[in-house]
Amino acid sequence: MIETLKENVLKAVHIAEKDAKIYFFKGPNITFGLLFPAIIYLAFSVGRTADVSLVIPGLVAMSSLFGAGAIESLALPLERAKGTFDRLLAAPISLTTIIVGKALGGFFFGIFLSIGYMVIALLLPGAAIANPLLFAFGIVLSALTFSALGVCISTPFRDVPQAMPPATLIRVAMVFLGGVFIPLSAMPGFLQLVAYLLPITYAVDMLQQATTGQIFAQALVIDAAAMILFSIIFFVIATAVLKRTLR
Amino acid sequence: MNSIVKTQGLTKQYGDVLAVDNLDLEVSEGEIFGLLGPNGAGKTTTIRMLTGQTTPTSGTATVANHDIIHQPTKAKQQIGVIPDISNIYEEMSAWDNLIFAAQLYSVPKIEREKRAKELLELFGLYERRKDRVAGFSRGMKRRLTIAAALIHKPKLLFLDEPTSGLDVQSLRMIRTLIKELNEDGVTVFLTTHHIEEADQLCQRIAIINKGKIVTVDTPERLKASMEKRQVIEVSFTASRGLEDKLKGLSCVTDVSMLGDKCRLQVDEASEAVPSLVDFARKNSLKIISINTLNPSLEEAFVKLTGLSPEVMKTEKEPVKKKED
Repeated sequence: MIETLKENVLKAVHIAEKDAKIYFFKGPNITFGLLFPAIIYLAFSVGRTADVSLVIPGLVAMSSLFGAGAIESLALPLERAKGTFDRLLAAPISLTTIIVGKALGGFFFGIFLSIGYMVIALLLPGAAIANPLLFAFGIVLSALTFSALGVCISTPFRDVPQAMPPATLIRVAMVFLGGVFIPLSAMPGFLQLVAYLLPITYAVDMLQQATTGQIFAQALVIDAAAMILFSIIFFVIATAVLKRTLR
Repeated sequence: MNSIVKTQGLTKQYGDVLAVDNLDLEVSEGEIFGLLGPNGAGKTTTIRMLTGQTTPTSGTATVANHDIIHQPTKAKQQIGVIPDISNIYEEMSAWDNLIFAAQLYSVPKIEREKRAKELLELFGLYERRKDRVAGFSRGMKRRLTIAAALIHKPKLLFLDEPTSGLDVQSLRMIRTLIKELNEDGVTVFLTTHHIEEADQLCQRIAIINKGKIVTVDTPERLKASMEKRQVIEVSFTASRGLEDKLKGLSCVTDVSMLGDKCRLQVDEASEAVPSLVDFARKNSLKIISINTLNPSLEEAFVKLTGLSPEVMKTEKEPVKKKED
């Protein structure tokens, strides 16, 4: 049992390594993962006086959302179109392991980008992170959730042009509804309800608490639990959808 | 002999299209088994079901004694799959492709590096091991795809149209390799639309058409099942005006001219040959060559399926992804 688990984890890591070699520096990843968060942020923050303690969590959560998801929005449909995904299907690997392996590539890319954006944000005047350990934990959980979301969104599609529009639409909508630019308290009641159904809301909240140092233990537990729960749900859906596409 | 592949009522339906219809097959360990049929007959879908790339709509299949639906991982560990279109990662090097393939099958590190080197040398790709596969020719990509399928030493190899669209050199190399692998104990399950290839390579052939198995037998028995019609091909020192004269011979039922050769359909070759010698003498001709022709597998295929052999000569469209 432990041996099988170890074998599956190793295979998932190998899939992630392969994805890293092939996709990390592909054009669409640079555009969607690296540049897109910066462009959106600049477009909505230029001319507005934003509290620097809100800039850092917003920018990092957004880079994680776009970065972690960008790899799989590209890799999965592209491999299905090229037929290379069949190599994984014909290999002795469970569908869950394939999905986890695919998400892992995005997970590492998301962490890499989050750290990059965090460093840039820290260069702003007066910027500081009060609780770096919690911030790091927030980055890891965010990347996990958003990579699982990326796989979940891209699994049904068999080509990149099909997969990109819904993936981008969902992410942009999440940015505007998840407290990146507008604090939840400033939103109308029904939009607050929508915000609580989005994983980015919990990522932004955890990163914000780490940045300001104003820690609310109960809220942190909810943030962490929500992100883990979202990840599990996304993995389960992605595996079920993949299984369905083989019918 | 033990069965290494066994299917019962295996069926695949895509919407309204019945791609594979109630397939019952048994492949023995150690044989080269061919699934012969035109494009769209259901060959690729059959391989995709047997290798866990698509789920059957109904029916059962065991591969290497493991149920492909309920124990797919165990079944897949025993098999190597070579699809009709090379599915290696073009962005990676030949070496990285083989190492990744080995990792998927849990081949230990030292073993996978040794095996990758051996296979790259065997397929003449070792010098190009660090090059990105995108720059390889079609034949090189095909060879690398085969190498990746062999990295874990599978006991059963599935090959989907292994020589389709290849140059003569690569084609010969792959046919020889299939025979050598089989001699080393690897069971081979291949699909082809080349009748000649099936005849040369396979110990048993299943002819498939419109998703259904028409017949399963050895190539020789399939040929022998043809009606007892015999053909003689004869070439004389002159050929002009011979057709009508040959039709006048009592032992000849039909005559057709193929260049300078006359192809004669006869009831009994042993009686026809002395008559032809007499015919040559009476017409002051010499016989340059004379051959009796046995019924071909192509003729057996035409008789069994009602299809024209020309249908089999059509190559698949080089699309990136499709179902057969």
